[in-house]
Amino acid sequence: MVREATRRGVLAAVMSLPLVATGCKGVGALGTPPRPQPDVAVVRDAIDAETLMISRYNAVLAAVPALAGSLDPLLQQHREHLARLRARLIEPKERPSTVAASPAGVPGTPGAARAYLRHAEQAAAQALLGKLTAAPPSLAQLLASIAASEATHALVLGPGRAA
Amino acid sequence: MSGTLPRLAAGAAAAGAGQATAWPGGPAAAVGALQAALAAEHAAVYGYGVAGAHLSGARQRAAARDWRIHQASRDALAAMITALGSQPVAAAAAYRLPFRVSTGRAAVMLAAFLEDRVAAAYLGVVALSEARLRLFGARALESAALRATGWRGQTLAFPGLEAPAPGPVPAGPGASQPAPSAPAPGPSTPGPSSPGPASQSPPPTGPAGA
Repeated sequence: MVREATRRGVLAAVMSLPLVATGCKGVGALGTPPRPQPDVAVVRDAIDAETLMISRYNAVLAAVPALAGSLDPLLQQHREHLARLRARLIEPKERPSTVAASPAGVPGTPGAARAYLRHAEQAAAQALLGKLTAAPPSLAQLLASIAASEATHALVLGPGRAA
Repeated sequence: MSGTLPRLAAGAAAAGAGQATAWPGGPAAAVGALQAALAAEHAAVYGYGVAGAHLSGARQRAAARDWRIHQASRDALAAMITALGSQPVAAAAAYRLPFRVSTGRAAVMLAAFLEDRVAAAYLGVVALSEARLRLFGARALESAALRATGWRGQTLAFPGLEAPAPGPVPAGPGASQPAPSAPAPGPSTPGPSSPGPASQSPPPTGPAGA
């Protein structure tokens, strides 16, 4: 009997979750919605950073199509980063992005465009490392892996590398 | 005979177990993750010796450079483990290679494989709760990923988390590269903004032993 009551309690708690998650007005009666956990903010920041990186690659590819051969594999890996990060969040897809759709100041020559992306990759990797200690272990591992991937992107975008 | 040899992947397998699902804390977790990283470094030191024997010119010099980096990382990890009051794991006398290495191309792929495994092992350190160790693991992971990219000529989406199947791959960009450039400091040279968990010296510059 006790077990049954507990199961019902759990069920009721689970059933109320979607209300909280969608921010439905009805939830007001239940009190203040819970604040997002700190790691949720970390994941959102990482998602925004990946979204921005992808828009940078797209802008560069639009300006310098000749770079497609060398940039496409890197862009594809950023899409994989983004998908893996998004899988960590359960929230409405319509969350407004704070990222500009088309970044300004994209260089128009191959060398400058690669340098632009290289610096962006380095900064993104560094920013992720700065978030590591705010994340639970498995998220920290994902962020560290993505940061390492971005560092290797910066490497192959280096001046000594063929386009 | 070969059945008794530890596989080169042993260190990484231990690291995989270190991918925690809850906050691991305390010295016991730290020692376990560092021991797994040390086992992977032992395997890398051995493996680069094998790889270097099948390489020449710039590639052999690159293998010798990375061999020294892994020696320095091995020593730094052993010191860290000793400082935590534990006995560092010893190297095996020999390791079973993941695939036959008899050509320069296979040696290059072995080097990339070794770095993949080292990266996976350091990911176990990233899961620790202590901030200093976590950053140390992340920087070591990054260094391994950079070296792997140098050897492979290609980047990975998730270094340490996901690795391509071991083995000589069809000729790709990596196979045609003359030599990996020296992209990064080893994990033994953490940046000034994040003090490493141990006082570590830069890689030695002595003659190559591979």
